[in-house]
Amino acid sequence: MDIGSLKFLFYGYSAAWIVITAFVLLLVSRGQKIDRELTRLKSLVEDKER
Amino acid sequence: MSRGLTTAFAIARKDLRTELRTKESVNASASFALVILVLFSFAFNLERDEFYAISGGLLWLVYSFAGALIVNRSFSRELPNDCLDVLVASPAPGWAIFFGKAMAAFVLLIIVEAISLPIFGLFYDISWTKCFGPLVLIILLATWGITVVGAAFSAVIVNVRLRELMLPVLLYPILIPLLIAAMGSTTALLSGEPMAGDNMSYLRQLVGFDAIYTALALYMIEFVLVF
Amino acid sequence: MLRAKAIWILGLLGALVMIFNLHAVFMNLPDDALQGGVYRIIFIHVPAALNADIFYTIALVTSVLFLAKKDFIYDSISVACIEVATMLVLVNLVTGSIWGKSQWGIWWAWDLRMTTQLMCFLLYLGYLVVRPAIAEPTQRATMSAFISIFAYADIPLVFMAIRLPNVRTQHPSAVLETGQMARVYWTSFGVGVLALLLIASALVLVRLHQETSQREIDSLRRELHAL
Repeated sequence: MDIGSLKFLFYGYSAAWIVITAFVLLLVSRGQKIDRELTRLKSLVEDKER
Repeated sequence: MSRGLTTAFAIARKDLRTELRTKESVNASASFALVILVLFSFAFNLERDEFYAISGGLLWLVYSFAGALIVNRSFSRELPNDCLDVLVASPAPGWAIFFGKAMAAFVLLIIVEAISLPIFGLFYDISWTKCFGPLVLIILLATWGITVVGAAFSAVIVNVRLRELMLPVLLYPILIPLLIAAMGSTTALLSGEPMAGDNMSYLRQLVGFDAIYTALALYMIEFVLVF
Repeated sequence: MLRAKAIWILGLLGALVMIFNLHAVFMNLPDDALQGGVYRIIFIHVPAALNADIFYTIALVTSVLFLAKKDFIYDSISVACIEVATMLVLVNLVTGSIWGKSQWGIWWAWDLRMTTQLMCFLLYLGYLVVRPAIAEPTQRATMSAFISIFAYADIPLVFMAIRLPNVRTQHPSAVLETGQMARVYWTSFGVGVLALLLIASALVLVRLHQETSQREIDSLRRELHAL
């Protein structure tokens, strides 16, 4: 493998994985926010029903 | 179908009459076009001959910015006093309402363009009278494309927060093929090339864009107006 | 829960297939005669675009289905697919830009394929920007469906951009059709598409689950308000 051209190959794949990872992290953080809100609302509804 | 067209013309007449009485959006849009023309003169430091290469691009940037202002008002003008709800509830078919508004926006944008073209020629010392016929054809076709897509998206975002910001975000990417064709053919025409060969493909692109998006918008506007 | 299991299975399988594929790409494939090692970017550059097209098409179908049937599940599938697909288009644009820098010396060239792909990114970015600005769920879903149908018109353009005659483009010609890509690359390419498909499907399912939870939150809020 030609070492010189590997620099751009490395950049290319890193960029791709960074974008995908950033998206996954975004999804996870949004998911956690939604779960927190959901549990909070469910407990509020239960309190009010009691 | 003909009743729908009569309704469309009635709505177009109504919009034009209200607009031309107050002249709000024509004034605002024409002033904006003027300011942009002035700003662009500072943006580039070109020789007169070099300037012909960017003339078409410049002109259509000015027209599309002015167009966004005008087209934004098409449906948002109906929001006060629930006029939009009344229009939608009326027996008028959805496509007729949309078509009438698109025609009114088209006429208003043509007025603004007619005002800005001589000023453009004056500021940048560009002669547009030699190629007037083909230039008018290009302007008419591209303006219809801008107004029909713009009016459609104006209906989509009529109830959205930050309406004036959202319309450009949606409108300009869709207009990219139209603008490429309009800018390319206008630059060619202003530089003295005849309307043949390469330039005919631009014309075909414009006609194709207009046909596709007019059909799409007319077909789908019913869903947007009555959701 | 079936959905959670499906997400885990798809994700892990996708990751495994991807690792296996990367191993094959880097260890077993020979260098390209002209480009050296860099050509291997194609194994993520093109699969990203292909998968984006697949998910945009699914989103188109579900958008039309939503307008026809008014069931919110279609709207949720649309937004999930469009988010993941837009991310994949970004991957495509970024890896393409880096590959272009290494091969042609420039980060970006305004040739037809790159321009139409960027336009696709902007169109769907507009979709993602406008969606949160509409408060009412039915209206949001209807407008999103409309925008997604309008935006899809660009995808055939991107696909055909390097196949059109008389179009000067820097992009290499379609390797899949002309069979110019050597047979030895075919399996790795196909497996790359599959790997990304599995991973993207897992992400779509996660996003879909979030949309359903969000709707549950909205209904709980309404219930709380009523109580």
